Amino acid sequence: MQTIRYPHNSWRGLTRPLLVFALTALFVTAASAQSNVVDVTTMSVEDLMNMQVTSVSKRTQKVADAAAAVYVITQEDIRRSGATNIPEALRLAPGIQVARIDENKWAISSRGFNGRFADKLLVLIDGRTVYTPLFSGVYWNVQDVMLEDVDRIEVIRGPGATLWGANAVNGVINIITKSAKATQAALATAGGGTELRGFSDLRYGGTLKQDTAYRAYAKYFNVGASSDPLGGNSNDNWDSLRGGFRGDWNPTGPDSITLQGDMYRSHYGETLTVPMLTAPYSSTFPNRGGISGGNILGRWAHDFGNSSTSLQVYFDNTNISENSLFADHQNIFDIDFQHSFHLTDSQAVIWGVGYRSIGDNNASSFTVSLQPNHSMLNQFSGFAQDEISLLDKRVQLTLGSKLEHNDFTGLEVEPNARVLWNVTPNQSIWTAVSRAVRTPALTERGLQLVSTVIPPGGPGNPTPLPAEADVYGSNKFQSEDLLAYEVGYRVQVANNVSADIATFYNNYTHLRSAEPGLPFVQTDPAPMHLVVPFVASNKMHGGTYGAEIFTEYKVIPRWKMAASYSYLQMDIRKDATSMDPTPDNPDMSSPRHQFYVRSSLDVFRHLEHDLTVRYVDDLPGLNIPSYYSVDTHFSYALPRSFELSIGSQNLLNQKHLEFVPDFINISPTEVKRSIYGSITWHSE
Amino acid sequence: MQVQPIKRRLRAALAILPILLAGAWLNAQNTSGSSEYLIKAGFIYNFANLVQWPSTSFAQPDSPIVIVILGEDHFGTTLDHALEGKKVNARSFVIKRARSVSELQRTLGPQKECQILYVSSSEMPHLGEAIQVLKGAPVLTIGETPGFARSGGIINLVLEDNKVRFEVNVQAAKEADLNISSRLLALARIIPEGRKAE
Repeated sequence: MQTIRYPHNSWRGLTRPLLVFALTALFVTAASAQSNVVDVTTMSVEDLMNMQVTSVSKRTQKVADAAAAVYVITQEDIRRSGATNIPEALRLAPGIQVARIDENKWAISSRGFNGRFADKLLVLIDGRTVYTPLFSGVYWNVQDVMLEDVDRIEVIRGPGATLWGANAVNGVINIITKSAKATQAALATAGGGTELRGFSDLRYGGTLKQDTAYRAYAKYFNVGASSDPLGGNSNDNWDSLRGGFRGDWNPTGPDSITLQGDMYRSHYGETLTVPMLTAPYSSTFPNRGGISGGNILGRWAHDFGNSSTSLQVYFDNTNISENSLFADHQNIFDIDFQHSFHLTDSQAVIWGVGYRSIGDNNASSFTVSLQPNHSMLNQFSGFAQDEISLLDKRVQLTLGSKLEHNDFTGLEVEPNARVLWNVTPNQSIWTAVSRAVRTPALTERGLQLVSTVIPPGGPGNPTPLPAEADVYGSNKFQSEDLLAYEVGYRVQVANNVSADIATFYNNYTHLRSAEPGLPFVQTDPAPMHLVVPFVASNKMHGGTYGAEIFTEYKVIPRWKMAASYSYLQMDIRKDATSMDPTPDNPDMSSPRHQFYVRSSLDVFRHLEHDLTVRYVDDLPGLNIPSYYSVDTHFSYALPRSFELSIGSQNLLNQKHLEFVPDFINISPTEVKRSIYGSITWHSE
Repeated sequence: MQVQPIKRRLRAALAILPILLAGAWLNAQNTSGSSEYLIKAGFIYNFANLVQWPSTSFAQPDSPIVIVILGEDHFGTTLDHALEGKKVNARSFVIKRARSVSELQRTLGPQKECQILYVSSSEMPHLGEAIQVLKGAPVLTIGETPGFARSGGIINLVLEDNKVRFEVNVQAAKEADLNISSRLLALARIIPEGRKAE
């Protein structure tokens, strides 16, 4: 076959096996519905202790009580998938859009509006908000944990603003690590491969006294640069070093205290294009950046028997130095108090108050500047939510609201109403109406970004001066508003089959647009040039709707299959008063269809095999074709607590681009076939 | 264009999912429980086998073993199905449910006819009251909430790494006049920790 960059023909080859799989699954499901449940009374205690609780039931159990589109990525899922970082792990969640830009940058979102600076997804690690107030998004290349110590990643699609606050607009990702007690062993991993050149994770867990457990970890990895389409080096190598600890004090009694912290530094590269005021009016060069920081968090929980409180305090420091672009130092202090109690037999109330301060210091370049250079922001919030059980606890009504005050837009109210109806013990229907807002990010208020320079005398610029097209923030920029309507259905078909469907209609108002301002002449910096500003404004609105389906099927105890499909339709329009020159539906950067099929098989006692086939629809707005990716992972348990693991991504070697970044002109790089191997040892 | 047939195939593949789900919906009516609770049902049966109640606990040699589920019932019909027709020392099983401690009091009656009380995590806040209600009666309390055995419950089922483990509070068992087989104790985590099983 000829080398075609996006070999359309090979898709046909893949679709057929998929169809065959789907049909087989259908027949096997139909057959299994007849089969009997194992007779557990014939099993010994030892046998029962060795039985795995299926994720099916665990997931359904937890999720069964939630009137929201929740999916839980378990430690087992992460380990078996062979994911090497958080973005890869997030591909396991149905409906989440994960696109790799280059080796160290991602665009991740839920229910649309994807971008490198995607701003409608709230991400937390152990209760600490990690999205940056700079652009209300996430620097994915420094949000990391030791994956072996992750207990679970809770992924909520749809607004979670009532509990989590502003910016939990289209989704919440909650990364939760294990307690120190659950990591009471030494663990060492080392490995390397074609992209992930080398990595090593070390952890040690112990007990100080009977009731105090701790762990400490260090993690390093080094990702090699990929090649650009012409075969040259694309400079997107990346390395990261981090370390941290966690201590849990759990005496007998009502109190428990957690103290944890991390420190990290990360260096990354990219091929950057910046505009210039003189010929050739832009320059492309390899650029390096670094992010370092640290955080410390304390949590005190007290159980009064009938009610419980928790107080959480953290401090987070981030230092960004994107050479040739931008430098920023940020300190965030956050304190949060929560109290939950039973008002009556059938009413559970949770309320809380919080305060966050953000201190920002930044330094500008010709391309990016942010005003003011020093700022201090304060946010106050309070929330209350009541869960009311009705009709023999079969119906659960949740009412609540958050009130939040920020320095930019003042008071924001984010209420929701949710109903969950357990139709039978095995199936539930839920529906929710909620309001969420995305409060302005620092850049939306004070950014000045030179996005391109149009040479003088050309078709786009008949004047004799070079023309700079700038993106400006505005102190008139307001919050983006969402009113979301959701309906979902969950069912546990049999002990080994479960399904979950969530549908939504989101109605947005005051979405960000870029309104052209009056062009003006600027002499500084030289040479004299025209500036055509595009000013952040709130003149877009529209609706999005879609559905996410997830089914899990435990074929036999040793073999689990999971499938997910998500559909997304976006209809975003400019307000009548908007002068934004971009066409309607400017987004088009989130896939309409996505699906995956995953198989997890214990081949024999010590050998696990996992296979994932993913499909992502084309992104017409970015001119990215659709693609399939096949990922596989083997793990083999060796004697003496050693484990060997081999993972491969994009096995079919269908080289593909997944995304083209916005705002900052970074060269995206293609995803190629990659393979890595690692060996893990743990004590005990 | 080549994209069209591929999309059609994709759509065909996706059309399978609703069929799966429809089948799922139909089947949901008559099956129940999740494997976590199926495993827990197996544990309960084994506990009934490996715990000795004093003879005064039963009215007759063939009186059934009465299990009461207190609080939110996650078993559905799993436990009923698992124990249906099963016997331990010529005793069959009877399963009752009580949503609250006051309902438990009514369910038990003055004779306190109950051998096993399964305390769902929803009733964990009222564990103390439940133990008060059972006082003096040889009842095996089984819980599923962290801290259950430490707070006076006898056996606590805990989930660890997706497997079910159990803790035994030996002192509480002794106070309830129950004799737990050494085979069971050998597999249990003894509470309070550091204490040897006698």
